[in-house]
Amino acid sequence: MELGFYLSGLVAVLATVGLITGSSPVHAVVYLIVSLIAVALVFFALGAPFAGALEIIVYAGAIMVLFVFVIMMLNLRPEAKRDSPWRRPGYWLGPSLLALVLLVAVVALIDGGHAGMTIDGELITARDIGLTLFGPWLIVVELAAILLLAALVTASHVGRRIKPRGNRNRGGTQ
Amino acid sequence: MLTLSDLVGLLPLLIVATTALLVMLGVAWQRHHGGTAAVTVTGLVLALASLPLASAASSTPPLMALDGLALMGSVLVLVSGLFVAALSQGYLAGYQGPKEEFYLLLLCAVTGALGLVASNHLAILFISLELLSMPLYGMVAYSFRTERSLEAGIKYLILSAAATAFLLFGMALIYARTGQLELAALAAGLAGSPDPWMLGGAVLILVGLGFKLSVMPFHQWTPDVYQGGLAPAATVLATVSKLAVFLVLLRLVLVAPVFKSEWLLILISLLALLSMLGGNLLALFQSNLKRLLGYSSIAHMGYLLVAVIVGGPLAVETTGVYLFTYLVATMGAFGVIMHVSSPFSGEDAAGLHHYRGLFWHSPWLAALMTLSMLSLAGIPLTAGFIGKFYIIALGVEGSRWWLVGGIVIGSVVGLFYYLRVIVTLYLREPGIQKNVTEVGHGRMGELALLIIAASILLLGIYPAPVIDWVAGLTWAA
Repeated sequence: MELGFYLSGLVAVLATVGLITGSSPVHAVVYLIVSLIAVALVFFALGAPFAGALEIIVYAGAIMVLFVFVIMMLNLRPEAKRDSPWRRPGYWLGPSLLALVLLVAVVALIDGGHAGMTIDGELITARDIGLTLFGPWLIVVELAAILLLAALVTASHVGRRIKPRGNRNRGGTQ
Repeated sequence: MLTLSDLVGLLPLLIVATTALLVMLGVAWQRHHGGTAAVTVTGLVLALASLPLASAASSTPPLMALDGLALMGSVLVLVSGLFVAALSQGYLAGYQGPKEEFYLLLLCAVTGALGLVASNHLAILFISLELLSMPLYGMVAYSFRTERSLEAGIKYLILSAAATAFLLFGMALIYARTGQLELAALAAGLAGSPDPWMLGGAVLILVGLGFKLSVMPFHQWTPDVYQGGLAPAATVLATVSKLAVFLVLLRLVLVAPVFKSEWLLILISLLALLSMLGGNLLALFQSNLKRLLGYSSIAHMGYLLVAVIVGGPLAVETTGVYLFTYLVATMGAFGVIMHVSSPFSGEDAAGLHHYRGLFWHSPWLAALMTLSMLSLAGIPLTAGFIGKFYIIALGVEGSRWWLVGGIVIGSVVGLFYYLRVIVTLYLREPGIQKNVTEVGHGRMGELALLIIAASILLLGIYPAPVIDWVAGLTWAA
């Protein structure tokens, strides 16, 4: 299991370096997805499968897909030449190799029969997390709920479409 | 699990959170500015009234410490929230666009601050700090159609997120060494001398909190955000946010031994000296009152850090008294700004030229502004003097002579620009025209201003009740 931990950690670091050195947002996002999946594997290796699954579902799954879609819709630099991606292996080779390393690590670990083992300490299951969150940590959950409410209200207020109505002093000071 | 007595102990927080929900439902049902403001003020007053009940319950809910420090913080936070809510009503009356969300955001921020001052666990500390900051982004950028407000909001959002990353990394380092998140357990697990990782974590936490306090090297955002943000939002930044974060810093230093290492104390002393000198020097030639108050708040946080450095039981008393005096003085100055500006007419009336000759057409506002400035400068018979006296006494007692020297020099420099503002108020120009038009403000705002003025004087002349109350508080060390 140590091998999986260190390998995924290394992949996470390398992918993040690729993310911050990349110039194109879409390719950077692909690196970020690899990095997030590597971090999820680190969580699995440490015996926190719930956190690992959330990392993949929420970050790599929902948020990153949304991100890629937004970038696609913004259609940055439409004038840039769009080569066929297969002619520029620099675009996809790095993330693919890193993802391959992760796959090899996972397959090797499962094949070796290490799937149930963790490095140290007990396995933290979804049940434990639920009992902690809605037991002693209830107040934190409630505060997080209000935090989300505040974020939602802020976003809805700032993102509000400007109404052209303005019954007084229209166009004067704005 | 939370028991019934825990819930009673958490009553102020619960009341404020419930009020936020009520306001949200009210907005969804029907928008009514006056009604929303009234509900907000009522909720905050109820929360304030429930404090004696809550502290009498002496409960110990998990992750939180409802001790004297938390009680003091709750009073400070709720009082400033109350003033801001009362003053916002008149301010927002002219705002074209939805006004009710502002109160909702204010209530959320107050909830976060209440959680923050009572936090005894790094997880709740982090969530509360975020809950305190998140509504502030919206409040600063509230009139997002004016360029400066939006710019200030985005500036604060990005820089604050960076500071939060520092804070989280610091917590992670400390957790990696101790395996504990509870402050008390953290202290117990670290009886020996701290190692570099712990110190690194502590420094990163200090950076994260120092950003929120706008201590000197992390202060870059302060003037721009104060100037660009709405006046009530800047007031919340200067009072609620700073009070709560400072109290949490004080609690960390009192509880966790790593913050008491000599090396770290030297670092904090440097920050304090830089803040008190730099803040005052940068404020010298500001012609915008909100920027000036921003720099002045940097200097005040520098003075206050002396309490963190010296530590001990007197530090809590000093912090309490100083924060009360700082609260009323800052609130007075911002109250006048809020009273004479309105987002309806573009940006706030914050340029000093707006205030030229204010005395000749609205003497009461000018009198309150004078009082606030004198109090911020620490002139006797105002609240600020008592606070400054405490800080200097504490510095002398702890033999931190460099810091005492810094306070004295900072105060002398500060006197210059505070007096410059006061002189501006009384300048009489021939053919004077009304620079600021008093917007019709509600009774609530005027009452709040009156109470602020009275408390500045009362704290300056007869501070004994507050001092006794603060000195009588106990806290879990």
